[in-house]
Amino acid sequence: MATSNTDQAFKISVSESQIHELKVKLDLIRFPDELEDAGWAYGSPLKDVQRLVAYWKSGYSWREHEKHINDTLPQFTKDISVDGFGTLNIHFVHQKSSVQNAIPLLFVHGWPGSFLEVTKILPLLTAASKQYPSFHVVALSLPGYGFSEAPKQKGFGLFQYAEVCNKLMIELGYTEYVAQGGDWGYYITRALGHKFSKNCRAVHSNMPRGSPPKFIHNQVLFLQHALVPYSEAEKAGFARSAWFLGPGFGYRQQQSTQPQTLGYSLSDSPAGLLAWIYEKLRNWTDDYRWTDDEILTWVSIYWFSRAGPAATTRIYYEVETAKERDIITKPINNIPLGFSYFPRELVVTPRSWARTLGNVVFESTHASGGHFAAHEKPTILVDDIRQMFGKGGPANHVIPHKSGFDHGLKAKL
Amino acid sequence: MTSTRPVPYKLAISENDVQALKSKLAATRFPDELEGVQWDYGVPLADMKRLVRYWQDGYDWRRHETHINETFPQFTIDIKVDGFGVLNIHHVHQRSKSEHAIPLLFSHGWPGHFMEAAKIIPLLINPPSGAPAFHVVAWSLPGFGFSDAPKKAGFNMAKMAEAGHKLMLALDYSEYVVQGGDWGSSISRQVARLYGGKHCKAVHVNMLSMAPIEPSKNPLLWLQHISTPFSEEEKRMVARTNMFRDKGLGYFHEQSSQPQTLSYGLADSPVGLLAWIYEKLHNWTDNYPFTDDEILDWISVYWFSKAGPGASLRIYYENLRTNPLENGRHEPIYSVPIGFSIFPQELVYVSKANRLLVGNLVYESSHSAGGHFAAFERPEDLVGDLREFHGIGGKAYGVVKGLTGYADD
Repeated sequence: MATSNTDQAFKISVSESQIHELKVKLDLIRFPDELEDAGWAYGSPLKDVQRLVAYWKSGYSWREHEKHINDTLPQFTKDISVDGFGTLNIHFVHQKSSVQNAIPLLFVHGWPGSFLEVTKILPLLTAASKQYPSFHVVALSLPGYGFSEAPKQKGFGLFQYAEVCNKLMIELGYTEYVAQGGDWGYYITRALGHKFSKNCRAVHSNMPRGSPPKFIHNQVLFLQHALVPYSEAEKAGFARSAWFLGPGFGYRQQQSTQPQTLGYSLSDSPAGLLAWIYEKLRNWTDDYRWTDDEILTWVSIYWFSRAGPAATTRIYYEVETAKERDIITKPINNIPLGFSYFPRELVVTPRSWARTLGNVVFESTHASGGHFAAHEKPTILVDDIRQMFGKGGPANHVIPHKSGFDHGLKAKL
Repeated sequence: MTSTRPVPYKLAISENDVQALKSKLAATRFPDELEGVQWDYGVPLADMKRLVRYWQDGYDWRRHETHINETFPQFTIDIKVDGFGVLNIHHVHQRSKSEHAIPLLFSHGWPGHFMEAAKIIPLLINPPSGAPAFHVVAWSLPGFGFSDAPKKAGFNMAKMAEAGHKLMLALDYSEYVVQGGDWGSSISRQVARLYGGKHCKAVHVNMLSMAPIEPSKNPLLWLQHISTPFSEEEKRMVARTNMFRDKGLGYFHEQSSQPQTLSYGLADSPVGLLAWIYEKLHNWTDNYPFTDDEILDWISVYWFSKAGPGASLRIYYENLRTNPLENGRHEPIYSVPIGFSIFPQELVYVSKANRLLVGNLVYESSHSAGGHFAAFERPEDLVGDLREFHGIGGKAYGVVKGLTGYADD
């Protein structure tokens, strides 16, 4: 296939045969048993999964949601070459602001998320205003996710994902841009900050991590950390983190070690895939009231994804095997970093921990919200991003000539 | 209908269920796979495609079902487990011709099943002269095979042991010995812990799950442990243990924490279940040359199981979410003799020093081949060990009153 440097306009169009195949499988579903009064203690409850399957079978309309996504999110594909991995066709959302000097922003999703997570923040970020900056927004489907191709060889790790992101932005004409992400988006934007800081000029994340400050590296932080007692919120954060790193960690253990074994049931059973993802949608959010349509649309993106659901789990294996989480923990000091803290994120650490990650210029703490911040708390997240990059903000004018405002913008009142 | 006497049983999976499986197989949607990865990321795609095709088109469940029915006398019986009501327990019960045979309860684990005993049963019940004979009870654990699954939370190791013990009593074996690997090992030890001395008279295991030696609790043992060099063979086994810990525990963590979430894919997708279990058959054995029939015979028991494959996962949750000390899981046992067969490709190596915490471990036997599913992979070796342990001159000889395993002269 000849590589193409131009964007191809793209509309999701799942084939009739795929839709039919799903219906056949939903008709043949065999459910497991469940203990009495299990609730959520053992995992996704049977009555929830049965209800969702019944709706998926008859009631839920993929075509309706497909059309809505196509109508709402301007999508494209582009071939991106990756050193050692050939060319991957990358699917992405791209919406420009009416503000000429808008800040180019790359939104990077994670697992079990998708490009859809940008949906609520897109109109807010691209809105024009005298008060807050505007952004041109690019939200890709990571390789192996959504409607992007998956890599075919092993070893596609954080720096490969970052390479795809960076090349995509440059080829769209954004030689300098800022990045935002949570989940794998956090790790990938860290890789961007480490390797491509010439282009990626600032990073904001809603999933701050970091480790306890070590005296040898961070004397002041260490002392602060050692002397200041933990607040109630911080203690609650530790409890949440303990849950995630303990009973909440099974999926990660499996996906980091034997993703292919898991991949067979995720590919073959809609109920299996649904239960696997739905559990995260519930456990990782802060009491977010998912509608059945939302759940099934998120899961359908995985079911109908170009490379299939199994491909989405391999990032865990690659990053674990290459120990890349440790690598990207090293501080990034040459570009501004910003963090938004949500109480029901998976690992909730004291502020001092994330400050070890480098040049942290922006921090914001919230009273509610979980892992999927862009979906759960879009206005709050966008407020934070606007504050970080806006007038008087700590990352204001991080890209010359891209302040987020046009000079002489006529007030529209 | 409840029955406190054993009721003869024959496997008879409905034609509906057999056809439903084939329909699902025909509709299988396979994942992609990275180039050249073989087993690194999990079960290879080529293996799954081959097995799915065969399972759908050539494999004959009725052959296996008939074979089990014709070879092994099976029964069901209602067992009342305190707090859990009545569970109908499926089991093979095959008696030796020798009236003085030793009653033995064989407990499988996960992803094992009652037919792991298939090769050892004929050897145990019909020994050569000079070796002891056994009556063998090989049960389907509650939640596995063709036994009922418990309906409430909390069916932990003590409950498993209670069910196994009551099964033996219901079969008129007031005194008996136990054998097991995987969860069957923990269950066997728990039976000895709770009913040892009076009823359970000896324990033999081919796997040990032990707490690590803590320097504060056992300082001398700990010193011994860290200062005794490992042999080459031990180093190999430790390396295998480390690999298992680093790469092989995904299933363990998921099943211990969110078994229900996992169960949907395993109940609904034959290839999903096949991959999940076949990976263990491949990785946990010592290069056992499974035929496609053996693999599919094995997984079909899970697919067609009475409570479904999801129920079998909960043994991890019920035992690993509760405090192991409450179950006395790591306390040593002194009430009965304990025997241990060491197979080189078992998953977890327990050092000599650590073994001193087992309790009355009076018999050990090391082998040069064999892995986790010892009864299936190395039946002669395992039976040889049981004969040594229980036979004349063995440390567990004559533990069951009047039933030495030998006919009177």
